Amino acid sequence: MGTLVTVHVVRAGEDGVDEAIGHAFGWFHEIESICTRFDPRSELMQLTAQAGVPVPASAILYEALQFALMVAEESGGAFDPTIGHRMEACGFNREHRTGEIVRSAISPADDVSYRDVRLDPDRRTITLLRPLTLDLGAVAKGLAIDAAARELESYKDFAIDAGGDLYLGGVNPQGGPWSVGIRHPRLDNELIDTLRVSNQAVCTSGDYERRTHILDPRTNTTSDAVASATVVASGAMLADTLATAAFVLGPQDGIDLLTRMSVEGLIMTPDLKRYETRGLCRAS
Amino acid sequence: MAQGGPNKKVTNRLVAASCAAVLAVYTAGYARTQSAANRLAAQVAERRAAVPAPQRVTIHVPELQRTSPIPARFLPPAAPVSDRFQNTPDRRRKEAERAEVPPSDVPGSVAEPASIEPPEPLIAVAQVVAPAINQVPAPSIAPTVLPAAPAKTVWKDGTYTGWGYSRHGNIEAAVVIEGGRIASASISQCRTRYSCNVIDRLIPQVAQRQSPDVDYVSGATQSADAFYGAVVEALSKAK
Repeated sequence: MGTLVTVHVVRAGEDGVDEAIGHAFGWFHEIESICTRFDPRSELMQLTAQAGVPVPASAILYEALQFALMVAEESGGAFDPTIGHRMEACGFNREHRTGEIVRSAISPADDVSYRDVRLDPDRRTITLLRPLTLDLGAVAKGLAIDAAARELESYKDFAIDAGGDLYLGGVNPQGGPWSVGIRHPRLDNELIDTLRVSNQAVCTSGDYERRTHILDPRTNTTSDAVASATVVASGAMLADTLATAAFVLGPQDGIDLLTRMSVEGLIMTPDLKRYETRGLCRAS
Repeated sequence: MAQGGPNKKVTNRLVAASCAAVLAVYTAGYARTQSAANRLAAQVAERRAAVPAPQRVTIHVPELQRTSPIPARFLPPAAPVSDRFQNTPDRRRKEAERAEVPPSDVPGSVAEPASIEPPEPLIAVAQVVAPAINQVPAPSIAPTVLPAAPAKTVWKDGTYTGWGYSRHGNIEAAVVIEGGRIASASISQCRTRYSCNVIDRLIPQVAQRQSPDVDYVSGATQSADAFYGAVVEALSKAK
């Protein structure tokens, strides 16, 4: 599918901005090349081919997977990075550039889950106890945004937009908190709401064409209790993964999870009811 | 917000973990695409020097996506350049008849995409600024003139297609390069749930890509974004 990434630095004339922006973009390519499920040469896919043995991992793959497993635990498995093969079975397997079907050479058991992964922090190794295919889409994108934001943090006031997942640093060109609209899941060119954020990430998980493509790992069916889940948090990896978890959990359990995790969020159901956390900072 | 008492550590565990993870990754640095990043930095400098609004820079990352990708049934086949878009004399005449738009004098540039050796991913650095609005009624294909590239940007002549994706379906754009410059862009395949006639009025928004009332928008891409994405992908092939 691909993602357009925009970097916006408010005071773009300062020293070193070009290098900083270039390095910020570099994080997206670096993390994509390691974590993509669509290239058999990626480190993630090489790992998939080695079930049962501890495999030394790069910092990026290790940290992304470790965080994903933590979110899996906290969400009771509503978010689970080990369901890549199930997504292939449901057709989520088209490699964009060539159009070829990507099919793992493995046939995982139906009940593989995040519990089938072991990490060794001293050796920084990953062990897949059983054959399975990892999917780190949400985590990797969030991590890339967060690493890119670190490149830019000395410039204070900036925005990163990676296909609708955002990090907003400091203030906007007018000197106030960035105003962020949330796309309406059903009505084109309309917003559910507008938020005011500073030094926060905003990530939204939503359905396409009214037929969701986000699987509930606990039941192996598509999730349809939520049309759109937005999370506002200190980092994009956090916001991205929790938005996915909240989408699967449904409006009430989703808001509960976000509250327990000390983040803010807004959920809209297919019948356009909205649910939000108490501390959500809206524009009006 | 954060709750006090004995639960406080548990409540913030995930927040702390995400900060620690990002710090670990950032500190480790990246080696594989360091040379790509340096090239990117140089290109960013060049592009920003060429445009009047240098604060924003956009690239296309081919496979990075946050959630599961669109199901195969919604995806296009691999898109070879269709020969109906070759620049035949008839087609040029038809386009000239349809086009009521004067040559664009809008400032801005579309930058030359970086060329990177495999296996690193292809990237395109592009900044589309205020394309001219096409006033022709009725046709389902809307020719669009993108602003002229600056003199130092040279594209390979030909017609290039790219796909863009939105929550309503996919759009294929075709971009025609003539004399090293972008001559036109149009919608070559419209697979969105709604007619692509709606693109006509959305095309000005392709440049802005945001609601005019907010700084940024979070959520699934719309048809206008899909068209923009398709154009960027097409341009990435014109290196």
